[in-house]
Amino acid sequence: MITLPGAVDGRRVRVGCDVQDIEHVQDSLAAFGDRYLRKVFTASEINDCQGRNQVHRLAARFAAKEAVIKAFAEPNMPFPWREIEVTRDGPLPLLRLSGTLAERAQHQGWLSSSLSLSHADCHAMAVVLVACGGNAGGTRDDA
Amino acid sequence: MQDQIRDVLAAHGRMAVDPREVDDQADLYDLGLTSHASVDVMLALEDAFDIEFPDEVLKKSTFASVRNIEQVVEGLVKAVA
Repeated sequence: MITLPGAVDGRRVRVGCDVQDIEHVQDSLAAFGDRYLRKVFTASEINDCQGRNQVHRLAARFAAKEAVIKAFAEPNMPFPWREIEVTRDGPLPLLRLSGTLAERAQHQGWLSSSLSLSHADCHAMAVVLVACGGNAGGTRDDA
Repeated sequence: MQDQIRDVLAAHGRMAVDPREVDDQADLYDLGLTSHASVDVMLALEDAFDIEFPDEVLKKSTFASVRNIEQVVEGLVKAVA
């Protein structure tokens, strides 16, 4: 039996993933409208999601926020959703952190990240991979 | 207050069981509450109690049980009063 090290090429890595039901996001929008949007998403994200696939894009971004929270691996940390923002560099989604979560990422030694989003008719999903410096701390959450 | 909280959970929690019938310390995530459903629960609680959840209470434990929700809501209601 071996315990595999949590590092790749000397860098500790963190991974988070999440899947969201498109219908649930649609229902939240119908029930709470702008309050739901403003509580969870940044103005930039709301703008990026306008158009025909708005709900699918919002669901993918919510999945990204949950994936990032899982990558932090601190189960009871505060999770101000708007401090996790999905931006774009052309076709590629990028992760931007602010406020307390940016500070927490710095404390954990986060150096770089890669984010992938996808959706089908019924679900959206996100995977985030984070490369950390050698002194990255914290514990894993299997949830 | 617990009855109102349980009604909100029943309306928005998307749980596998009726939250009006669970122990007030039962783990709501084990009973089907998801992170996304907790957003709806939070927004509905804000409406029901005329409060606003600040960022520092947006953590998993806040929504982990009826009792936990009650403690947080009680604190926010007192802060508004």
